[in-house]
Amino acid sequence: MKTTNDRRAQFDAECRSAGLTLGARDGDLLYDMWLDWLPERDRLRATVPEPEDEPWR
Amino acid sequence: MAVNVADLDLRGVSEGLGKRELSSVEATEAYLRRIATHDPVLRAYITVTGDAALAQAKDADAEIARGKRRGPLHGVPIALKDLIAVAGVKMTSGSQVLADHVPARDAFITRKLKDAGAVLLGKLAMHEWAFGRPVTDGPFPTGRNPWDVRRAPAGSSSGSAVAAAAGLCAGALGSDTGGSIRGPAAMTGLVGHKPTYGLVSRSGVLALSWSLDHVGPMTRGVWDSAVMLQAIAGADPDDTSTRNATTQDYVQHLEDGARGLRLGLLKRYYVDFPGLNDEVRGAALTAFDVLRKEGATIDDVDAPSLDLAMVVWAPIMSESYEYHAETLRKTPEKFRDGVRTRLLLSALFTAQDVQRAQRLRARIGREVDALLSRVDALIFPGQAAPALKFEDFPTTGFAPASIRYTAPWNLLGLPAVVVPCGFSREGLPVSIQIVGRRFDDATVLRIARAYERVTDWHRRRPDPARWTL
Repeated sequence: MKTTNDRRAQFDAECRSAGLTLGARDGDLLYDMWLDWLPERDRLRATVPEPEDEPWR
Repeated sequence: MAVNVADLDLRGVSEGLGKRELSSVEATEAYLRRIATHDPVLRAYITVTGDAALAQAKDADAEIARGKRRGPLHGVPIALKDLIAVAGVKMTSGSQVLADHVPARDAFITRKLKDAGAVLLGKLAMHEWAFGRPVTDGPFPTGRNPWDVRRAPAGSSSGSAVAAAAGLCAGALGSDTGGSIRGPAAMTGLVGHKPTYGLVSRSGVLALSWSLDHVGPMTRGVWDSAVMLQAIAGADPDDTSTRNATTQDYVQHLEDGARGLRLGLLKRYYVDFPGLNDEVRGAALTAFDVLRKEGATIDDVDAPSLDLAMVVWAPIMSESYEYHAETLRKTPEKFRDGVRTRLLLSALFTAQDVQRAQRLRARIGREVDALLSRVDALIFPGQAAPALKFEDFPTTGFAPASIRYTAPWNLLGLPAVVVPCGFSREGLPVSIQIVGRRFDDATVLRIARAYERVTDWHRRRPDPARWTL
């Protein structure tokens, strides 16, 4: 189970990796939105495409 | 002039012009007076091009008087969302970034409308970059719902909805990336048509997310939307997505009715969704019974992968981040918080996230195409709930859950139309939605008309006496 501190650290690391430099206000707003989005992202990453799932087929 | 122009739908204005019961100048002046009277409260317009509109109207009257009516839009006053370019007219996209931007060229669809003889009344309010939230403050308020001015019309084509519903134009164009035509149309009692992807050019239309963006009509009636679509549909060399555009006659079969059509009701994903408002559910189910009585066969159908649609939509929307990233770095203060944050979230999607989303998008498309090989169209409620008060609009999150009613059909590029099917106890419009096969926009319009012609929801008008703050 990740703690709030763990989550914030993960978020900050992802921002650094993406090259985002944020002020405190944007950092907090984006963190809230990122937290909101995480369950959906987890579902996306947990859904394994089938071989026939190709966009240009 | 005996008619009250503001009470007419686009067809009424067009037929009045055709029968010479009304001139284009009279119609244009009537709309301009109504805009001057009511838009200080409703805030549908960002720019009103009154002088240019009157000049176009005079030209139209002169041409019509010579017996040369170009078609049903000739002389009809309409308005455009403020992300569609009109040469020499400010185009802001509801953003401070473009507050003084004046395009030099018409959008392809603007040229088509001018060729059809339409009169352009002005440019309409919208959510910032078609991605923001409803606001009543600042330089670009997004408009108030004419059915209850304490409520938002939703968006992002908010001004288009307000103007068409309040009789501040005969019809409007909006754009739709996740529901921005159909959402506000549903909230204001309009017909809103997101055409097939690739049927209507977006050259000269500001992008939000290019594989999801569509432009289409928002009007009081189905016929109105059909003739507007007829005018703007077709291939444009400057928009390669329209390379294979297959146009139809969108008016010819409007009165063919629903008899013999097979409709698939997406019950599990939409009707059974716990977030669906009970009044919307009830009105929609009653509307589907009307279609049954009109001779359609309706069976429950399902595409299980629709459950992935909202998981997929957000990463695809990262196209918008690519579009805005440079401006966002240079002038972040020119974006409102909500838009800036939503755009920045896209920076946190990985390449694998986006490509996986594309693969899952293909899966949803395959399943839905299979459904549409068995039925002529899919039907479901047009929205999750009636219009919200401004203060109740969600201020956090990437997208509200209600967007499931519209965004999947942007992912798939299928034609989708909402048509009003009743009112809530609080007097707010509700609607049904019809989705069809790619480039078969004529069938979704035919089904919408089959419902509309035996009901009278589309004839109700909001009361201007209530447009006060």
